[in-house]
Amino acid sequence: MAEAARVVSPWNPANAVTASRFLTLPPLFWAIDTGHHQYATLFILVCGVLDKLDGFVAKVFDCRSAFGEIFDAITDGICYGAGLIVCAAYGWAPAIPVAAIILLGLVNTSLRFVYAKRAGRTTNYKSYAMERLVAYTGWLIGFATSGFEVTFFYWCFVPLMMIIVGYDAKRMLIDPVPS
Amino acid sequence: MNELMSATAFNWFITLLTGGVAGAWTIYDAINLLRTRNADRANPIVRDKHFGYVMGMVIGVLGIIGCLRFHNML
Repeated sequence: MAEAARVVSPWNPANAVTASRFLTLPPLFWAIDTGHHQYATLFILVCGVLDKLDGFVAKVFDCRSAFGEIFDAITDGICYGAGLIVCAAYGWAPAIPVAAIILLGLVNTSLRFVYAKRAGRTTNYKSYAMERLVAYTGWLIGFATSGFEVTFFYWCFVPLMMIIVGYDAKRMLIDPVPS
Repeated sequence: MNELMSATAFNWFITLLTGGVAGAWTIYDAINLLRTRNADRANPIVRDKHFGYVMGMVIGVLGIIGCLRFHNML
């Protein structure tokens, strides 16, 4: 007899870890607002570590799901997007690269919705390059909060992101969707 | 509220963390690229992986360059 498809509840430990990343945002904003560079770096570091931890927890508890992947991507967008905007607003990060990063991030998110529509199911396009770039994004906020070669890292990021979004756009919009 | 450590210690903490992760990342993706060099490049997933590994290596090298620049070594 065929085994019934396993249904993973959205209320699982991996998604709890993902959701807990939002808890790092209020203290991060407080630290930036009050000029505490080291605390701000610590909070974004915790947010980044939790990002790595949720995948590990999903593996350990065997609770990987399409919803979890999309929830993780949305959390990345909100946490890192908000962190970048606040850093730029307080003059800790250069505004033009931050605006370009946010814009490209929105383009990438829209492409993922189009891809899910093309695939006809809730799915997240797995981009090995974008995974690496998202980790770099977390680091970017840390560079801004710590004042570590901020201009260099931000301006290097933009062309890299343009190349990766361009490559992923072709994969999501033109190439056939794998079954 | 005071900061967590002295400015010098903090700068070195960030340098070691960034340089360490960037270096490890560069090596990790170089190994990944070497391991999959004979895989079928007609497969789009293989091409995605190769592209991702190359981008990972570029990001890692940028991290190392950034650390060297911060300490006026480049």
